[in-house]
Amino acid sequence: MTQKPLELILARNLMSALSTPAFLVDEGGVLVFYNEAAGMLLGKRFEELGTVGPDEWGSLFGPFDESGEPIPYDELPLVVAVRNGRPAHADFEISSVDGARHRVEASAFPILTAHGSRGAIAVFWPAGSSNGAGR
Amino acid sequence: MKVKLWGTRGSIPSPGPETIRYGGNTSCVGVTLSDGSMLALDAGTGIRNLGLALAAEPARLHILLTHLHLDHIQGLVFFAPAFRAQTEIVIWGPASPEASLRDRIARYISAPLSPVEVRELPCDVSFRHCPEAEWEIGPARIRAASVAHRGPTLGYRIDDGDSSLAYIPDHEPALGADIDALEEDWISGLGLARNASLLIHDGQYTDEEYPDHIGWGHSSLSHAVSFARRASADRTLLFHHDPMHTDAQLDALGLAARERWMQAGGAEGGMELAAEGAEYELPARAASAASAT
Repeated sequence: MTQKPLELILARNLMSALSTPAFLVDEGGVLVFYNEAAGMLLGKRFEELGTVGPDEWGSLFGPFDESGEPIPYDELPLVVAVRNGRPAHADFEISSVDGARHRVEASAFPILTAHGSRGAIAVFWPAGSSNGAGR
Repeated sequence: MKVKLWGTRGSIPSPGPETIRYGGNTSCVGVTLSDGSMLALDAGTGIRNLGLALAAEPARLHILLTHLHLDHIQGLVFFAPAFRAQTEIVIWGPASPEASLRDRIARYISAPLSPVEVRELPCDVSFRHCPEAEWEIGPARIRAASVAHRGPTLGYRIDDGDSSLAYIPDHEPALGADIDALEEDWISGLGLARNASLLIHDGQYTDEEYPDHIGWGHSSLSHAVSFARRASADRTLLFHHDPMHTDAQLDALGLAARERWMQAGGAEGGMELAAEGAEYELPARAASAASAT
């Protein structure tokens, strides 16, 4: 068993109590948690999905730009935050498991400690939906 | 590895007739490694008596601080070896983005709170931030990891041969979490405590007291027992007693902890309350649980 860093543990605890969709990746970019609100948005609970590697989660639910084209993984706010150690913000569409598109704004920030990066958090702010299924 | 409890109280020293058996000194645990090397875990007021017991020995010792709350450092300026020129003391503790370990401790060991400054200590004292990776002191492998408490706080694990000690005196692993349901790698401190020969863990509050102290950084009895069960430690000592708890109240809390432990399937003798002055010799984990002397 590899112990998760305390900063990720506390982040998960906080996210679990939020009604705002939130995602958590570790320092390697692995998606290690998202909360119930994010699960409702995506149509799939984290417990059903489990951890997802950095090359996979970006394509699971889109995201798509205004013209409907997939956004490159490297440009996603969560990826920018964990790789560059900088906050990042973007708006885009994601696709839930039922195919519904949701327009969201995403703000991501890195989790930095005295020992370096632990990962990053992204909070999604649903801004409507292309088929009216927004939250 | 030998362990002696020099201070088991949390928050503030609480000497008096009502706290004689469990003790009134704040956190300090002495550890003698298999080669005779000496460690002190925290430097609460209990370290004063540890220093007196050391006489002129040893020439070098390590103090491992979990954090810098006063009940964990208050004894530093009353630690006799610090006033001997022939003594080398290495103080380990958590890093902080705000200031070095030395500068943060110097806020206490300086005027007007202290009659001496760090630079005036006669001993050869150095300060080191605990690394993320395991390191060695004598024959022991030391591991430090951040744990859930207020401010930068570490727990420690010391492995010497086949015996191991986990020391997490200030800890609230159940803050915002259900530690009975969480996956093990998501429980604060569990990686330090797993399969330890002896776990010394926060058990400050009764279950009835805890709701009024959520977020204060300490555990309820039930949370401490759950944590110990998840850790599968051979023996657990509940530590950091609340200063308001008398010996009689701690007797009752200890009884409740043992009952809860046994109900959860724990082994006989695996759960007790820490008492100042108690000594333990830690056997290899494959042998029986840590034996009190």
